[in-house]
Amino acid sequence: MIASLSSEWLKIRTTRTIFWLLLALCAVVTLFVVAGILTNNKADLTGSDNQAGAMGIGILAAVIALIMGLIVSTGEYRHGTITPTLLTTPSRPLVVVSKGIAAMLLGVALVALAEVFVIAELAAFLPIRGIGFALQGGDVARVLARTLACAAIWGALGSSLGLALRNQIGTVVGCFAWLFFAEPIVQGILNSHAIHSHAGRFLPLAATIGVFADTTGHDANRLSHLGGVFILSGWLALATVAALLLLGRRDVS
Amino acid sequence: MIAVEDLRKRYGKTLAVDGLSFTVEPGRVVGFLGPNGAGKTTTLRILLGLVRANSGQATILGQRYKELERPFCQVGAVFEASGFHPGRKARNHLRVLARAGRAPETRVDEVLKIVGLEGAAKKRVGAYSLGMRQRLALASALLGDPGVLILDEPANGLDPEGIRWLRDLLRSLAAEGRAVLISSHVLAEVEQTVDEVVIINKGKFVAHGSVESLTRSVEGRVRVRSPQAAKLRKQLVKAGLKIDVDGDALLVAGGPSSQIGEIAAKSQVVLHELTPITTQLEDVFFALTTDGEK
Repeated sequence: MIASLSSEWLKIRTTRTIFWLLLALCAVVTLFVVAGILTNNKADLTGSDNQAGAMGIGILAAVIALIMGLIVSTGEYRHGTITPTLLTTPSRPLVVVSKGIAAMLLGVALVALAEVFVIAELAAFLPIRGIGFALQGGDVARVLARTLACAAIWGALGSSLGLALRNQIGTVVGCFAWLFFAEPIVQGILNSHAIHSHAGRFLPLAATIGVFADTTGHDANRLSHLGGVFILSGWLALATVAALLLLGRRDVS
Repeated sequence: MIAVEDLRKRYGKTLAVDGLSFTVEPGRVVGFLGPNGAGKTTTLRILLGLVRANSGQATILGQRYKELERPFCQVGAVFEASGFHPGRKARNHLRVLARAGRAPETRVDEVLKIVGLEGAAKKRVGAYSLGMRQRLALASALLGDPGVLILDEPANGLDPEGIRWLRDLLRSLAAEGRAVLISSHVLAEVEQTVDEVVIINKGKFVAHGSVESLTRSVEGRVRVRSPQAAKLRKQLVKAGLKIDVDGDALLVAGGPSSQIGEIAAKSQVVLHELTPITTQLEDVFFALTTDGEK
């Protein structure tokens, strides 16, 4: 397990894809944080709670983890590296699990990096507007825990989906189409007054929002933080079972 | 060491491998030959657990590949010159495999040297030529210092110097007691490299033996040229010999050149050429695989 995991981690580190995605993550995070500091009211930037809210941009790391998970797994089929992968690790379940854990670790590392950037930028730019840097450990830990959970699960989800579906472009485009177009529509339908099921909150993006967002009062269309983690883990389990079944039965030729 | 027993694999309506059986012993280089679509790659992939057989057994060192304790270090495999991420450097590609296969990472530089890629180790594989990729694939197979090598068309893309290098490498590996199973369509090349060959056609076993015994089993021919070819042909057919025409020459089977010369002399036919044609592996291959198609 350690050998396979170490190899998967090395795979992630040794192509330029991760370098460009890291660069994109840092650039977007910087852009959002600086823009937020320059445009928001002073009152909205004062105090630990508000400043911790700015750390929410770290959730972008979950998207990058999802993309990397998808690219690394589908890349095995695209470039034919699935053959040497299965020659070194003939146990297919071990391949699925190792890739999933490596993608989880990547998600965690990406969040850590993004949040270090956010905190450094808050510390550097808030004084320019005469606002004191006031982040406190408790608030940082709260936001960090939520973003870490989301990024880890999304990374592994991408990895399992990639192994199950194989086609790189189709899978990446399909995931984004689902997240940004299809799911909001499906959510809207499921949560509409006509159906009134609130089932939309169980969809992957809605569950992520449940984990991540601060809720004030009761919202029937939103899961609790833990509920969101539980449901997201359920989606991950489903994708992993699909990857295990499909990769397990597939001839690699 | 490698044992294939009554192996069958069906893809839809196509029977890719049909009751195939053969063995490869240690210290032998065995050529695995067959026309395109004969089932060679499918058989090799079944041996390595990449494709599931419908029935039969394919074992290496008495076990299925995935049941071996350290499969990557016990069996090295090459499948065409693919299986590389083009954006990854060659050295890193090997490090990835060494880690997963539990081979020592110190072997990475050793195998790069063996295949002559030490100078290009830090280049991305996407910039490699086909020949360089083939060498890198061989380096991957040698990483675990395995006792068994299974190579699918390893000479593809190699230049003449590379082919000679490969031949010497395979011979030295076999001399160290390793079993080498090598599929190839470059028959002349295989002939110079292997101790024995397994020939298959349409998924079925056709022949297994040393190159020498197989070439002996195929009838030799004699190339004859004469300005009186029609007259000579008549006499040769009368003597029960089989004739094929090759341009202005006759290819005569069924008798030695001495018999043909005597027939020509008796018939007062002038000969311009009387050359026995040495039977080569290619002749055996075509004779056996064509027979199989009838």
